[in-house]
Amino acid sequence: MEKELSWGDWIRELDDPAKNREKPEALDHITVLDVSYANMAGCFCTSTLAEFGANVIRIEPPGGDPARTFSPWGYMHKGTGLGYLNEGRNKFHVTLNLECEEGQEIFRKLAKRADVVVETFLPGTMDAWGIGYRQLKELNPRLIYCALYTYGQFGPKAACGKADVDVVDQAYSGVVSVSGEPPEDPQNPKPSEVPTKQGNWMGWYAGGAWASVAILAALHYRVQSGKGQFIDVSPAEAYGRCINYGINYYYGFKDTIPRVGNYDVGVFPYTYFKCKDGFAFLSGFADPNWKALCTIINRPDLQQQFPTIFERLNVDNMKIMYKEIEKWTMEHTYDEIFDAVMDYNKNIGQGVVVPGRISSPMDTMKAENWWVRMALETIDDPHYGEVTIANHAHKMTETPPRVKWICRPVGADNYYVYAKMLGYGPKRLEELKEKGVV
Amino acid sequence: MAREDYFKWAESVLDPSKTFEKPEALADIKIVELCTLILGPSLPSYLSELGATVFKVELPGMGDTMRSLTPFAKFFNGAALGWLKEARNKYHLAIDVRVPEGVELFKELVKRSDVVVENLRAGTMDKWGIGYRQLREINPRIIYIALNGFGQWGPYLERPSYDAIAQSESGEAWISGFPDKLPMKAGIWLADYYGGLVGAIGVLAALAHRDRTGRGQYIEYSQAENLMRAMDWTWLYQHFTGKCRERYGNRDVSICPADIVPSKDGEMVAIGAATDKQFQGLCQAMGKPELAQDPRFATHLERLKEENAVELLSLIRNWVAGKTYAEIDQLAGQYGFGAQKVSNGKDHFEDEHLRKRNFTYYVDDPIYGELYEEGIAPKLSETPGRIKWAGKPVGFDNEYVLKRFLGLKTKKIKYLKEKNIIGKWVDVPPGRKPPQNWDGKSGVLLV
Repeated sequence: MEKELSWGDWIRELDDPAKNREKPEALDHITVLDVSYANMAGCFCTSTLAEFGANVIRIEPPGGDPARTFSPWGYMHKGTGLGYLNEGRNKFHVTLNLECEEGQEIFRKLAKRADVVVETFLPGTMDAWGIGYRQLKELNPRLIYCALYTYGQFGPKAACGKADVDVVDQAYSGVVSVSGEPPEDPQNPKPSEVPTKQGNWMGWYAGGAWASVAILAALHYRVQSGKGQFIDVSPAEAYGRCINYGINYYYGFKDTIPRVGNYDVGVFPYTYFKCKDGFAFLSGFADPNWKALCTIINRPDLQQQFPTIFERLNVDNMKIMYKEIEKWTMEHTYDEIFDAVMDYNKNIGQGVVVPGRISSPMDTMKAENWWVRMALETIDDPHYGEVTIANHAHKMTETPPRVKWICRPVGADNYYVYAKMLGYGPKRLEELKEKGVV
Repeated sequence: MAREDYFKWAESVLDPSKTFEKPEALADIKIVELCTLILGPSLPSYLSELGATVFKVELPGMGDTMRSLTPFAKFFNGAALGWLKEARNKYHLAIDVRVPEGVELFKELVKRSDVVVENLRAGTMDKWGIGYRQLREINPRIIYIALNGFGQWGPYLERPSYDAIAQSESGEAWISGFPDKLPMKAGIWLADYYGGLVGAIGVLAALAHRDRTGRGQYIEYSQAENLMRAMDWTWLYQHFTGKCRERYGNRDVSICPADIVPSKDGEMVAIGAATDKQFQGLCQAMGKPELAQDPRFATHLERLKEENAVELLSLIRNWVAGKTYAEIDQLAGQYGFGAQKVSNGKDHFEDEHLRKRNFTYYVDDPIYGELYEEGIAPKLSETPGRIKWAGKPVGFDNEYVLKRFLGLKTKKIKYLKEKNIIGKWVDVPPGRKPPQNWDGKSGVLLV
């Protein structure tokens, strides 16, 4: 009976995120202390662990983390900036002054019973406070301690003292050098024809993602060995690992990959074209796919003129082919282009052309697909009210990630966490507060 | 002094030159990969650096399309550079999984493995009889991840996808680039590489669950949805203001100052200050400590206001234009703000810091020779990541894997070859066969 279901129906029964909350969580046995400071790489790492169920205690200085002000044009929602609000997910928020001895002592007590610590201070800061990995591992040999910093914890630049900011991570990664438009007229380059970063905090997100991978691998290793370890992640290197080629190209050909705008030095056509009512993506790289595209736009001459990838990967030829293909796209709306291509794929099907729309995030937010799949979700947060968030992409049959609340105000969980972990009641907390410890 | 001591200690526990004296975090994990291009293959590639054994299964002959992907069609010792970077540490098998005997071999591999990674069109594996529905019957502990553009069900089910489509349909391209230009596609296959990376988090979370319960599971993964998760404040901003997030060039409208501007000696330099303290340092470095007291700039929320941000970024642009990168670099260290020139492949190759850290990684490969590539991102003190070899031609490890891991008899392997169930490379197109100067035995296991 089960086997009669189509694949899509069968798997949706098992992995539909609408049923997430009925299922267990993968990491609900893990306690994480997050002391990232003014750094969204650390916050994203611990969000991710929290979305998979970890008990994350987010520790901010008594005045709150400066990252709470990371927000477009300073837009604040109930006292919290939108960038931070988005990464407060499922975490308990407490305050603790790590610069005073009493705060350090409390941190040691928490770390003794934690599984993971994530921090983003300048290297050696936690160590100087007596709460770095070197000291904590004596109290808790099973501890996994991850430090994130642009230049890492060792190497000639580790002690340079420069700050870790996303734009800096992106610049060091190598990705910016190959992104953006080249000057149309090299004698008169426009201010916008320069190496260009991604609009989002891509360096920090890549750093946080690699930190999560490393922490989870270390957790697996700990299951058998019982040993914790020290992890050093540079968001710049993390993002740089995502590069197509850079070092191997320089080593092999003593040259650097140029910026080619929306072209791709390894694939053509594989780019965005203007059409009647917006922009469309079209591809047709391998020989049969290129032939398919030329058939769809009724230009067999182009296929004959540029028959192999060797002709098609010449940037001057790319410009010629681009203009010719654009003649066709400009005569059609996006929907017409999409239908023509999909019709070919379905009914003729020799080679595949892949079409896509260049969507503004507002249009993305209006497209039904993402809501059906719960990639986007509007949740009702106990403190921040109704908010729209993007979920992690994983749909899982047994232990899917989920967002239970979006964030918490500064110190909102002090009473809960300190009572639960250390037995501190309101009186003790009041004393600590007066002394500036929490 | 104390800090010097810290760096000495950190280097001693993380020292990459001791990598091969230490164990690997995922040494007990075997992964079967049936993937093409980058989204799928990058995931096992990342996990292989942390010790997983990866069986990459390709079709005999042409193998993975990725073997053609190289800048300007330039091949390095017969290998496509795009392919070579993610071929590391894998065993390269060529099995025709479209025929029953190939399916059997594939299933035998899965029986002995922990993870399956595939990035075919939704339902293809199921149709071939090697989807999750079938594989969980023969191995209930299996963790199976399927990565593609839009997932396994939903309104976009029929749609094929590529990296650039995930970049464009998520809105990531729209928010990147300058206002007077088209939406910008990243100069890398961002949705692929970053997709494989976050996909790996799901696999490892599933492994954590299996370590406790013994149960495997299925993971469905859309690369477009993954990019949406990384678009920081976009959705909240649109939710609260009803306005669309646009693209703003190199400035960050949520952290000020943060921009990329040209220096006197022609470098593009990223400048950033994310806290008041970092900003005060920058003002001192600029010789204008009074700026930090100026009511327009004294707090981050004031600095972020459009008119103040424009004014401040213009002051910084002018200051950077009068300094060399070396001067700015020195001042950034002294005063604690962020500054970094835009670096390229040459910079990375020559950077002693990145070499020391095994990011710029030297590989002495038995087949493709000496090469350098982007290496290891996270440094782990007990179980450091590593590259053991760079890659192999199509079907190169067939005999070794079938004998060592499946215990097949030599006669059976010969039979499978004769029936074309397993096979090796074709000579054309390039990127499939060993390099021209290959001696016919280097790299061959179990000769």
